[in-house]
Amino acid sequence: MQNPETTLPSILTYQGIPVWRHAQIIQWVAQIASAILVVALVMWFFGNMAFAIEDREIPFGFSFLGREYQTPIGEHVLPYKSSDSFLYALVVAATNTLVVAVIGVILATLLGIFIGVCRLSTNWIVSKLATVYIEFFRNVPLLIQLFFWFYIILALPRVREGYVILDGLYVNNAGISFPGPSASGTMPALVWLALVVAAVVVGVFLHHRLVRREEEIGRPSYPFVLGCVATVGIAAIAWLVLSGIFGDAPFSISMPAPEGRFGRIDGGVTVRAGMLVLLVGLVIYTSSFIAEIVRAGIQSVGRGQTEAARALGLSPMNTLRQGTFPQALRVIIPPWISQCLNLTKNSSLGGVVGYTDLTNVAITMTQTAPAINIFLMLMAAYLAMSLTWSLIGNLYNRRIGFTG
Amino acid sequence: MKRTIKYLAGAALIVALVAAMACGQEEPPAPAAVEPTAAVTPTDVMEATAAPTATEATSMDTQGGGRLDAVRARDKVICASRNDVPGYGYVDDSGNNVGFDIDLCRALAAAVLGDPNKIEIRLITAAERGPTIQSGEVDMLVRTVTWTTSRDAQWGNYAQTMFYDGQGFMVRKDLGVSSALDLGGSSVCVTLGTTTELNLQDFSNQNGLNLEVLTFEDTPAVVAAYESGQCDAFTNDRSQLAALGTGLQNRADHVILPETISEEPLGPVVPHGDDQWFDIVKTVMGILIYAEAYGVNSGNVPSAATGDTKVDRLMGLEGAFGQETLGLSETAAQDVIRAVGNYGEIYSRNLGPDGIDLPRENGRNALWANAPCQDCPKGGQIYAAPLR
Repeated sequence: MQNPETTLPSILTYQGIPVWRHAQIIQWVAQIASAILVVALVMWFFGNMAFAIEDREIPFGFSFLGREYQTPIGEHVLPYKSSDSFLYALVVAATNTLVVAVIGVILATLLGIFIGVCRLSTNWIVSKLATVYIEFFRNVPLLIQLFFWFYIILALPRVREGYVILDGLYVNNAGISFPGPSASGTMPALVWLALVVAAVVVGVFLHHRLVRREEEIGRPSYPFVLGCVATVGIAAIAWLVLSGIFGDAPFSISMPAPEGRFGRIDGGVTVRAGMLVLLVGLVIYTSSFIAEIVRAGIQSVGRGQTEAARALGLSPMNTLRQGTFPQALRVIIPPWISQCLNLTKNSSLGGVVGYTDLTNVAITMTQTAPAINIFLMLMAAYLAMSLTWSLIGNLYNRRIGFTG
Repeated sequence: MKRTIKYLAGAALIVALVAAMACGQEEPPAPAAVEPTAAVTPTDVMEATAAPTATEATSMDTQGGGRLDAVRARDKVICASRNDVPGYGYVDDSGNNVGFDIDLCRALAAAVLGDPNKIEIRLITAAERGPTIQSGEVDMLVRTVTWTTSRDAQWGNYAQTMFYDGQGFMVRKDLGVSSALDLGGSSVCVTLGTTTELNLQDFSNQNGLNLEVLTFEDTPAVVAAYESGQCDAFTNDRSQLAALGTGLQNRADHVILPETISEEPLGPVVPHGDDQWFDIVKTVMGILIYAEAYGVNSGNVPSAATGDTKVDRLMGLEGAFGQETLGLSETAAQDVIRAVGNYGEIYSRNLGPDGIDLPRENGRNALWANAPCQDCPKGGQIYAAPLR
């Protein structure tokens, strides 16, 4: 570094390119100007908010979180009663949103891949059907599709006149009910579930080892079959042992049945109409976008790859599974993440079809708690969910991406 | 690793942001600490009510008093209301937004601007009411809003109860339910973000009903879900049940249960922080009520002194009731009554015989027992601050 005495004259005697055409100086000025702009904008937003809060005596604060919520939450995956706190109610609502988001992303991805592959099919009818599906569902607004599905569900018979299929499956305009597990006690159920998780870990580990062994010795080691056997075996043994210890199986099967004078279905698992409509709407809408992403991904893989795979004697299915698709994933994953984010955020439309998602509950809360704080929390919650999707997607993308 | 750090940094930023908000709770953010960067909109500050902050106004043209001037400058009153419930806010055959709530907005426009048609109606859902009035983006919220203490504290100022309502239930006759207490184990549809949603929980808890609740953002969806039998009952204010009932395919198949489970005083709300505007709205509502009490209607508005002191004062023909202080014209009441009629006319046009036919005689929404009018319904709770 030179000291100021020597740099000052050199600035004064500068005779290079004029400053307004000096690339580096222009870049610096642009950087500083945009930084000032961003800071000023943020300060203005917050200043405006702070001013409005003061001026209109808008209540502000987070003390409401500990108070009892005292409001119904229609559908909830976690247990909820009206004497629970605002904070817990938000957790319940966020879980509702997460459930729809996770199930929705899984289904939309599977359906999207299927439709995308269909669109590339050499079968004219299949490919045209896929095209029609994609062009229809991605060009009609989601809200309108949700209303469409909502009215379709409403057209089903009422709960008392609903369809009963095989004595355990109830289909009516209040939702779908089917037999489901019912925990006989919290302790045995939790212990068994923990053991099942352990069994899955063991199974996956075994699978990895056997795959490597297969590659080393060049003879089949049946990694998939043995991995599954290990998992199921451990889970079954745990089941028997726990049944022995607690004198009762950890879970029993609960059958749905109409209850009371209104004939509402009790027992089993009920997916209520609101969730069903939201899921169907989100999955179909999002899958049409994912299908296009998948098609673009597959088409981005060079033709030579397909030809090489076929020359090796792979069937068209295996060409896709082992040849083109893994390579296409690199193109597919980044836009696919965006679709996961979209689906998660679009689930906030649940309120229009009667699903109590996070937004729905948060809006109800603004009646008895400060709206600004609730919306700040709402934004933070969706941001956290979206960042989590991005994180998962990016980690996966890095794993499958080109290395070196 | 680098990316993980980035995420952690992002998360830390959010936490810091939320923490900063939380700090504001103990210590209200002082305007001095936050530099107002946008240009100040110079609105004349009429009263000294909010003068210290008004000079620092940042973005909106109506902050800290001066909403009257802003409204006059804009030449339009903006009201938040609805168009989906007959009687209150609906679309008539020729496509106009009409109703009891809309008429209250028209009355305000007539008082402030001299023309009832200088209004803009912002259509909002029930759940949007709080944020809409809190932000001050509208001049008045008239959308079947129940007056409650926490809304008064959080949303804005309730000007005047213009309709007394109570929550009830509607069910299908074929269920054989004769009381709301028999609804145990049923499924009930309700609109999101309403007092009815809150009252429903109280009622369910008090009576151990274990109701299954379905909430929808829009009232039409509630009605559709109820009509298709997705829920067994639907709950709303009784007058709205009656109004929405007119839209059901077969009204005779449905019955409103006798129980009224709550108090629902409905009326207009103004944003916090502008006392002058708050007083203007209260006064305009008072004009409607007293005009009926004094027998002044849209057909007989006097333009010269009648000799009846009370009528002449109301009409601005003799004495005053505070018009000048409020910034209204001397004859504002004449404009209002000529344009929209008195309370009784508004009621019968929208909620009475010419509207959804809710009885008013002997009900809570008749004028008070000793109202001076000769043949208007009496014995109710409709009463306002005397205009003098």
